[in-house]
Amino acid sequence: MPGTEEAAAATSAAKRDRIFLVVVDDSPERAVALRYACLRARKGGGRVALLRVIEPVGLVEWAGVGVMMQEERREEAEKMLSGLAAEVNEITGGFPILIIREGESRDELLKLLEEDPRISILVLAMAPGSGGPGPLIAALTGRYANRLSVPLTLVPGALDEKELDRVT
Amino acid sequence: MQVYLPIAEMSVDALLLLGIGFGVGWLSGLFGVGGGFLLTPLLILIGIPSPVAVASGANQTLGASVSGLIAQWRRDNVDLRMGLVLLAGGFVGSALGVQLFAALRRAGQVDVAVSFFYVVVLGTVGMLMVRESVRAIIRRRRTGVSAARTGEHTWLHGLPFKMRFRKSRLYISIVPPLLVGFGIGVLSAVMGVGGGFMLVPAMIYLLGMPTSVVIGTSLFQVVFVSANVTLLQAWQVGSVDIVLTLLLLAGGVAGAQFGASMGTKLRGEETRALLGLLVLSVALGLAWDLIRAPENLFAIGLAR
Repeated sequence: MPGTEEAAAATSAAKRDRIFLVVVDDSPERAVALRYACLRARKGGGRVALLRVIEPVGLVEWAGVGVMMQEERREEAEKMLSGLAAEVNEITGGFPILIIREGESRDELLKLLEEDPRISILVLAMAPGSGGPGPLIAALTGRYANRLSVPLTLVPGALDEKELDRVT
Repeated sequence: MQVYLPIAEMSVDALLLLGIGFGVGWLSGLFGVGGGFLLTPLLILIGIPSPVAVASGANQTLGASVSGLIAQWRRDNVDLRMGLVLLAGGFVGSALGVQLFAALRRAGQVDVAVSFFYVVVLGTVGMLMVRESVRAIIRRRRTGVSAARTGEHTWLHGLPFKMRFRKSRLYISIVPPLLVGFGIGVLSAVMGVGGGFMLVPAMIYLLGMPTSVVIGTSLFQVVFVSANVTLLQAWQVGSVDIVLTLLLLAGGVAGAQFGASMGTKLRGEETRALLGLLVLSVALGLAWDLIRAPENLFAIGLAR
């Protein structure tokens, strides 16, 4: 009943404030998670937030080299996120919130969820195939499940655009 | 626990060697460097003859760098084409360097020459490292320390034989990388170092490579050049001591694991300043060895 849902979204202001958080990693299925979150935001109201966690630079013997590495990684992350932001804008008509963190992706994600109460749903896509859903999902549904402070939506990574359109 | 080193023709404490291997391995795990630039002078300072110390340093560097290269290769951080160009220069440089080394040995000047090289190179490098990290400590994170790259267009871009390096996003003449590889190759042969600590800044500031591929590509060069040096030293100078190398590697492997796991927990600037001071003190130790009056003013030896 898409009609009633959209009508409900228009009336409830609270719903428009909800934020779908998508973790931007280098896996192919992240596109599915991003598309799902965008479609949900467009059809049901809300915004999309993109989190990119960059790997910290370890010790390098030259400080200048270390600083430059950090800058280049950040620049790369910014370029990547702004590219995806255009994609999000095309689907939802609004620009997403861009978040760049430095550290280990699971820890930074949990920290962000603790710090930012605006985030309402975490959207992750599962890797297609029999190799397991991916390390992040495995951690968040296993050992770290108790630290999760928002609902987690798992999107099968094999869904194509039409199917995604149907389920949102 | 004394062991006799067959090639070095002396006996040393095996625990001391294990300890040196562990300490150098720890540093190389911590910083992701080969560690040859500390190992060789330390061996010289405990009395190992320079030719043996140099050959063992190259060997240790090889051992420490292979695992790093494999890790970087898996993460697709090696610019193979750039690596091969550097390596071409590196092979020529290291082959020439070993000839130079053999000539110095025939002239009986090899100990002085190696120590002198080390005093100059380690002195410079140590001073730069200390200066850099002291500066960083003073203005810690006040503003983003902007590491300025050199100008986009220099005379280096006017050289012929241009080649496209896709992974480094560069279209440059192959002459500068060949020269850089050559220089590091000579140093590698004469000093028994991998040369990563000079190769990395050279690749960034001179060649303008992106930092993401620099470590992997430099390891590629270091692995093959130090393998070449070890082989040539063993063949032409006959100075690779298997007992010494095995003891050092055993300590080194353990130390590297330990160092790598500590790498992210330490504060960068302080650790780096300590490394710089360590490098400087090794250089000073060697300089003192060069200028003080030797214990035995005369030595009798067989001409080889």
